[in-house]
Amino acid sequence: MKKGFFDRRQLALPYVLFLLVFVILPLFVVVYYGFTDAEGHLSFANFLAFFTNMRTVGTLVYSLVIAILTTIICLLLAYPVAYILAKGEYARKHSFLMVFVLPMWINFTLRITALKEILTLLEGNLAFHPFLNTIICMVYDFLPFMIMPLFNSLAKLDNSMLEAGADLYASPVQNFLHVLLPLSVPGIVSGVTMVFLPAMTNYVVLDMVYNSTYIMGSLIGSYFSSYDWNNGSLISAILLMMIGLVTMVTNRLIGDKEVASR
Amino acid sequence: MKKRLLALILMMSLVASTFTMTGCGQVEEGDEIVLRVSNWEEYIDLGDWDEDEVIDISDDVNILGVNSLVDDFEEWYYETYGQKVRVEYSTFGTNEELYNQLTIGDVYDLVCPSEYMIMKMLREGMLVPYSDEFKDDSIETNYYAKGLSPYINEVFNTLNINGNILADYASGYMWGTLGLVYNPEEVTAEEADHWDLLTNPKFEKRVTIKDSVRDAYFAAISMYYFDDITDESFINSEDYHDKLSAMLNRTDAITVQGVEDVLTECKDNVYAFETDAGKADMVTGKVVANEQWSGDAVYTMDQADEDGIELCYSAPSEGTNLWFDGWAMLKKGIEQDPRKQQVAEAFVNFVSMPENAVRNMYYIGYTSVISGGDDSMIFDYMDWNYGVEEDEEGVEYSVGYFFDMDDPDADEEYTIVTSEDQLRRQLYAQYPTKDVVDRSVVMACFEDEDNERINRSWTNVRCFNLDKIFK
Repeated sequence: MKKGFFDRRQLALPYVLFLLVFVILPLFVVVYYGFTDAEGHLSFANFLAFFTNMRTVGTLVYSLVIAILTTIICLLLAYPVAYILAKGEYARKHSFLMVFVLPMWINFTLRITALKEILTLLEGNLAFHPFLNTIICMVYDFLPFMIMPLFNSLAKLDNSMLEAGADLYASPVQNFLHVLLPLSVPGIVSGVTMVFLPAMTNYVVLDMVYNSTYIMGSLIGSYFSSYDWNNGSLISAILLMMIGLVTMVTNRLIGDKEVASR
Repeated sequence: MKKRLLALILMMSLVASTFTMTGCGQVEEGDEIVLRVSNWEEYIDLGDWDEDEVIDISDDVNILGVNSLVDDFEEWYYETYGQKVRVEYSTFGTNEELYNQLTIGDVYDLVCPSEYMIMKMLREGMLVPYSDEFKDDSIETNYYAKGLSPYINEVFNTLNINGNILADYASGYMWGTLGLVYNPEEVTAEEADHWDLLTNPKFEKRVTIKDSVRDAYFAAISMYYFDDITDESFINSEDYHDKLSAMLNRTDAITVQGVEDVLTECKDNVYAFETDAGKADMVTGKVVANEQWSGDAVYTMDQADEDGIELCYSAPSEGTNLWFDGWAMLKKGIEQDPRKQQVAEAFVNFVSMPENAVRNMYYIGYTSVISGGDDSMIFDYMDWNYGVEEDEEGVEYSVGYFFDMDDPDADEEYTIVTSEDQLRRQLYAQYPTKDVVDRSVVMACFEDEDNERINRSWTNVRCFNLDKIFK
């Protein structure tokens, strides 16, 4: 196999180094700061303080509500779109898909600014509906991230499965619930992970639509700007744990499906 | 083939980036002295003005920014001292960002943060004092010592940290007040004269407050102590200014709690806590008033003028925050090369030359701390900018305190005739009247534990309160 100057392992080296320095190491730094105090001693005080303060827990809840709502709405909007694009009988599917993904090519602050003006036209004063506007802008911002993985998983799906379901007298609803939906779980899972967690921290959207209530991302920013590295890192660490949890649960889900579909 | 090419390009760029990363360390070639300066974004004249922007103060004084002041400094320094210097100029967005950069390990020689950050750095022993030579106003090139406004000089000399006088460690750059920009068609001058405009239900969701702990705190504490500081006997007391300063700088637990309540009320009433959008939102009419630093207020009013909208500025009557940004030399940087201190001081002197102070004021809209000393250029610029034509009617506007504080008759000399609306507009924002500065206080650099208390209360204001649901 040795034809070029490097073998495969050597070629992987820069990436391994990159991952170590820019991904693994920072994670350890975050966890280290999160669970030490200002003097560098191991401490769970920040952790306890976070979960006993009604305001910080409130921020977590508020972020979760925003993220869950955004994810659900994205999923409801994206699924039919992805299905039609993937299974529809027409040419140039990919061009249509492109149209949905195209907004991602434009800087999102620019898009939100434009959307803000449209919402101002519709609502008048934006400040009276900060929560609604946050959700609208979040959904707009994250929708392509939901469509893409759903499209990919639906496009790969074997049509004969659906046909078999229909042949066995499954109603369209049954066919959807028992055949299509279970088979598209991997797409749903990756779409959800791509939307849910960023939505918890994307505070730029809140700033832009004049929502003055903090979410997890703004809390991290406010701690860092008052030089409180420990509390800022702690919140990042809490988010990290949530990512871990979500990934574990979803892996379990995908694993089950793969077993079931065999 | 394409893939291989792509991989090659990626690899090359990775290699290239590592080289440039190691490349930005210390480069001191030959006999060139490098001065590393960090200033606020958009806070110095970058030149490149149009020909018709020339400031023709008089027949022989025409000021035009051709090159950036930084380039001009390098040239001026070589001509004056025969030594090559190179300025590495960088910018920062907030005081906290600069401080964070410094603690992470960035090294600068000369920085320009706000007064409280300079005091914090002074407290932490990060600063080098200015030399005695720098303060000698008999030296021709000491434009700062010669031109500094006596009023600002007095403020700098009264502030100290653990006995270290601020004037020894910092030189001023820009200064101003904190106030409210408002639209006179929607808000009366009387309403804008008080901070409680921000909690006034009449303007529900049509006013903004700054998304910065200290600025919001100041507005709120002025509302919290409104009754005390507007009391007749308080205002007429002999040490009114000291008492006002002490009261608006309170950070005890009860005050912080009171301020938190006021800010919570603000949060429900305001359009937004804004960092940057406030200026544009004023011009587009989304909001009718917002909390603003005087320099940004001038900028906002100028912008609105271009769109044919008249905006005004008010420094509320209960009290305003006197702020300034100034140059401080950092130990870590200066220590590397003792010659740097002289270069840094020369840089301060250069930007303090009356002509350069005018260029900066024209370009960024803020007010320089330089009054010009024997040189009348700064006063002439103010007259050029705001004075009415000779055959027009106007009102008198005096700023003697700024130019010559010790002379009781200074007001006669330093009076311009301006149009009536300027009493509430750019002129008033740029050069506040004597009674505004009399009720202005510098916000202290709070102790760490006080800061912690205030930050915690700020988080309380901004976070979603779960208790609200359970009640």
